[in-house]
Amino acid sequence: MSMPSVEVVKNHEHIKKTEEKKQNSFFAKFKQIYLGPIIAFVVFIAIWQAVPLLLGLKHYILPKPTDVVSAAIEDWHLLWPAVQITVVESVVGFLVSAVVGILVSILLATSKILERSIYPYAIILQTIPVVAVAPIVVIWFGAGYNSIVVISFLIGFFPVISNTLMGLNSVDKNMDELFTLYNASKWQRMWKLRLPAALPYMMAGLKISCTLSIVGAIVGEYIAGIGGGKGGLGYSITVAAIQVKTSYLFACGIAAAILGIGFYLLVSLFANLMLRSWHESAMKVDK
Amino acid sequence: MATVQKDVVSFQHVSKVFNGETIALSDFNLSIDEGEFLSFLGPSGCGKSTALRLVAGLGNATQGTVKVFNEPPKQIVQNTNDIAFVFQDANLLPWRTVLDNVLLPLELRGGNKKEQKKEAIRVLEMVGLKEHVKAYPRQLSGGMKMRVSIARALAAKPKMLLMDEPFGALDEITRQTLQLELLDIWKKEDMTILFVTHNVFEAVFLSTRIAVMSARPGRLSSTIDVELPFPRQLSIRTNQKFTDYVDVASDSLENSSEQRELV
Repeated sequence: MSMPSVEVVKNHEHIKKTEEKKQNSFFAKFKQIYLGPIIAFVVFIAIWQAVPLLLGLKHYILPKPTDVVSAAIEDWHLLWPAVQITVVESVVGFLVSAVVGILVSILLATSKILERSIYPYAIILQTIPVVAVAPIVVIWFGAGYNSIVVISFLIGFFPVISNTLMGLNSVDKNMDELFTLYNASKWQRMWKLRLPAALPYMMAGLKISCTLSIVGAIVGEYIAGIGGGKGGLGYSITVAAIQVKTSYLFACGIAAAILGIGFYLLVSLFANLMLRSWHESAMKVDK
Repeated sequence: MATVQKDVVSFQHVSKVFNGETIALSDFNLSIDEGEFLSFLGPSGCGKSTALRLVAGLGNATQGTVKVFNEPPKQIVQNTNDIAFVFQDANLLPWRTVLDNVLLPLELRGGNKKEQKKEAIRVLEMVGLKEHVKAYPRQLSGGMKMRVSIARALAAKPKMLLMDEPFGALDEITRQTLQLELLDIWKKEDMTILFVTHNVFEAVFLSTRIAVMSARPGRLSSTIDVELPFPRQLSIRTNQKFTDYVDVASDSLENSSEQRELV
């Protein structure tokens, strides 16, 4: 059996080579990948700083980057707790939508009849703008935290369910037949075939859902208020808008963006860990 | 028992029609003995894969009866692991390692984990992949994937192996190696093998008997007993007897396609 061993040797050499390359070409890679975006960022900030100065715009119309930074530092004692509250709300909303979404998908996927009768309504529900029903949520769950989490959940829930269901139903026909040939039970098929096959879809759904859950939390705060507790980013934004604290508004917006990016990267990392060993989406492409 | 029959598979007047219009098989009759290595040889669309799938209980005959070990195929599949199927692409689960892929049929059957692992290692050794048990399918070449697929089929100790153009996508050199290994396994494991191919040389080299089929509608046009001695080496291919069989099989294929054009 000489052929396979030859291939393995080749593989080892390949790995070694790429490792060496990695170390040698670190700076070249840095230049190639990161330098461009960094320059673009610096240029953008410089233009942003220059425009209000040149046009003589007031800071409450278009604040300069330096105004935004100083507003963030000045009101840090307000901004930081607000960020923390929003993080908690959106993470809870996201986790609930992930767990409920996956469980409901599995339930629907186990029975064709159930899926056929319920899934159309799930799609219709998905098209309802959550903002439109948010006041109802507030009536049911009261002002503040609970309602905000529910709104965040409602926004994040549907991408999880539609993606997971699609994944559970997109099992390769031959693999399905393999399980038929070994007389696999319904649940064996679910655990050993359908769920693993759906994992890439599920992860894509979670990635969409995590950024939406932050949107949900902020929108929830707009509508559900603070209900006696401390307010999150959405609440800070409403207050700052009323007071025309434009620089602070920018700071809040940027904080929300960083939050979204951070959350997305975290979920992507998790997805890569789950799929690393086998799925193309999570594999490093080396040439 | 007076009714002991040596036929392990029998097709009796079997027809298979897809969607009420595509006739894949028409009045197909064939009996297969225990221990045979039988190849279904024919052009694409002659229903050879359909015949194999009927044996595996993947689908029902529109007319006639298919029996495997004197029972309906679906029953055999449900109650035993006597039939194993090797698909054209290796059909491995990408999220499982080589070992876990081979363990799959054993896991689905349940039982002692340690025994299962022993058995999986045994069959992986047989196909020469013992060192790659922890690799994932994407790390393997096409030939190695097919080896894993064969090991997985053998793991459940089947009495009959059904192979649907298993070497069709492999290069010639890998294909030859695997053909030799398959013959070894066939002898060692004492199985009946049903093998679908459209390659005349492959059919003659491997088989004890060839069922030549014709297309549209899929019918059995003739069967050829290949009386070449075992074990067969690659050198047999230049043997006069081997080339004679190839001629006979090719002629039979051509006749069946000419008939088709006359109709």
